[in-house]
Amino acid sequence: MSIFSIQLLTGLAYGMLYFMIAAGLTIILGVMNIVNLAHGTLFLISSYIAFTFISQNVGFWAALLLAMAGTAILGIIIERLLIKRVYGKELEQVLLTFGLTYIIADTAKWIWGTEMHTIAVPVFLDSSITMGSMVFPVYRLFVVLVGCGLALLLWYFESRTRIGAVIRAGVDDRDMVSALGINVGLVFTGVFAFGAALAGLSGVLGGPLIGIYTGMDSEILVTSLIVVVIGGLGSWKGSFIGAILIGLIETFGKVWFPSFSMLIVFLLMVVVLIIRPQGLFGREVA
Amino acid sequence: MLKKCKVWGICLLAFMMILSGCSGSAISSKKTASKGEEETIKIGMILSATGTFAPLTEGIRNGFNLYLEQHDNKLGGKKVEIKFEDDEANPQVALRKYRQLVSSEKVNLLVGPISSAVAYAIRDEVEKDKIILIDANAAGNDLSWSKKSDFIYRLSFSNWQNGSSAADYLAKNIGKSAITIAPDYPAGKEVISAFKAAFEAAGGKVVKEIYPKLGTNDFATYITEAAQTKPDLVYTFMTGSDGIRFVEQYNDFGLKGKIPLAGPMELGDQLIIEATSDNTEGIYSGIIYSPWLENDQNKQFVEAYKKKYSKLPNTFAVSGYDSAQVIDKAIKKAGSVKSADLSKVLKGISFDSPRGPITIDPKTNNPIQNFYVAKNTKKDNQIVPEVIETVEKVTMPETAPAN
Repeated sequence: MSIFSIQLLTGLAYGMLYFMIAAGLTIILGVMNIVNLAHGTLFLISSYIAFTFISQNVGFWAALLLAMAGTAILGIIIERLLIKRVYGKELEQVLLTFGLTYIIADTAKWIWGTEMHTIAVPVFLDSSITMGSMVFPVYRLFVVLVGCGLALLLWYFESRTRIGAVIRAGVDDRDMVSALGINVGLVFTGVFAFGAALAGLSGVLGGPLIGIYTGMDSEILVTSLIVVVIGGLGSWKGSFIGAILIGLIETFGKVWFPSFSMLIVFLLMVVVLIIRPQGLFGREVA
Repeated sequence: MLKKCKVWGICLLAFMMILSGCSGSAISSKKTASKGEEETIKIGMILSATGTFAPLTEGIRNGFNLYLEQHDNKLGGKKVEIKFEDDEANPQVALRKYRQLVSSEKVNLLVGPISSAVAYAIRDEVEKDKIILIDANAAGNDLSWSKKSDFIYRLSFSNWQNGSSAADYLAKNIGKSAITIAPDYPAGKEVISAFKAAFEAAGGKVVKEIYPKLGTNDFATYITEAAQTKPDLVYTFMTGSDGIRFVEQYNDFGLKGKIPLAGPMELGDQLIIEATSDNTEGIYSGIIYSPWLENDQNKQFVEAYKKKYSKLPNTFAVSGYDSAQVIDKAIKKAGSVKSADLSKVLKGISFDSPRGPITIDPKTNNPIQNFYVAKNTKKDNQIVPEVIETVEKVTMPETAPAN
């Protein structure tokens, strides 16, 4: 096992984490045409919720479910109470969700303090596998698996289920769908809750990898916006490819051009935007 | 379609908002000065309350406030009013906040900053305005050397002290070859160069120096690189969340227990130990403080701190506590709050800190203090930095060592 394959796996693990984060953002954007800038904050809140439960000796998996449910509920509250009022008004949406990031992040600071925390890896994943002279943590492989699983699930939902069909239809012609007797408002709330729950999932799974700290929310938001832009606005398939690309480029960039690793990510974004302004999987801009 | 273009514009706007430092605004604690018969002194605190440095700031403020509370909200017999400003660890913001504190608020004294870049940025202004700055954290060496000022006194420690203190012990007892990993910024370079000089003077050899970019959140690449070189020990300088991730990943990639991990004070501090618990077991560090240090001051300090904040104090809390303590002692000794008078007594001032005896060296305006070589050991189900050796009176050289 060469050092190359370790880097490859590391890059892949991060790519998958980025995918899980960006998926929620891009789905909300694609379906509801809302740039939810509070997405990173939901990620942060979910890690804190999971951290709190785990330190109360609730198991990792139960904490994961609770945190996802918690962020989904928070998502529903945000959508019903606030975002609902600004549908179709982009600037208001940006200001609203951006304002929310401050309020929620400061509340989190107030509740959990500014110390950094980590979430311990669940026991049965807390080992490393030896590959030749190299060691690789099992947990990272697990993250890769979950990422792939999520992609499969999204594909299935989108193309094989009634809900998927309704959502696709809702994107194309909202009025027509509601004329058919489908409650679009309810669908949108559901989508927003689902997107928030995905932020929750990645927040918990990311805990053991990147820790929990104040300021993490904006870092995460920037990364996921880059992924969404590269992949194409609203396309989760694009985010899947974009996230893997960024994970790999970041990891290998660190080895080959240590001082430029962040720059390369932005460079990739610039190149993609020049060649395909709509992003890798984005719909053609008419 | 116009709609898509709009979404693009919004994405762009969002980027700009985030990248252009979306950090918070100033939080000034508005304690109305009671107009009693005593004089009130205004102390300006300029620290970094947003981002990576936030936990350090919290520690310093907690320590400072604890001392105030224990002394009836008085320093040197005068009522204290605190004005807090967040510099966002950004020199430009810091200069603005500094102006605000000095020109509009007219503070008598300053306490701060966290970042050395900020300290260097406000240094000339401090000199011009002749206002005493008690440096509660910024560790840049040049504050004691080429940028030394009669108005700036450091209470914490310098990068030189932090990097060099444990090196001798490590070379003599742990191993002769070392790989160093530290972020690529001035503090990282300063700590490593101090470590390298002391480590090699004691007969060791630094076989490779790795400098990841600051803000890297995955160290797998560097850790595997270190594993392949098989040194006797890995020496790393990592602060805050970087330190936590590094320690966790060192464990994840199977190096814990195989190649000893060592570092400066950060690796033996509560901030990292609390977050990573068992993964820090076995790490060697050169610390200035631990809640388990045995002296009377510390016993009382830890007890009071635990009572007020229901957690153990970390090194930064002690820096805050000592900043208040030194102001208290200096005003009493000088009998005035004038900068010129304070400057005279601050040079060479000695006092007992929870970390042990401290003397501000008049040659460098930096504390002469004990460092402790510690090994993180599990005791009663918690990790304790157990002191193996005391390095007494670590004193900064008067000028930068030639290399």
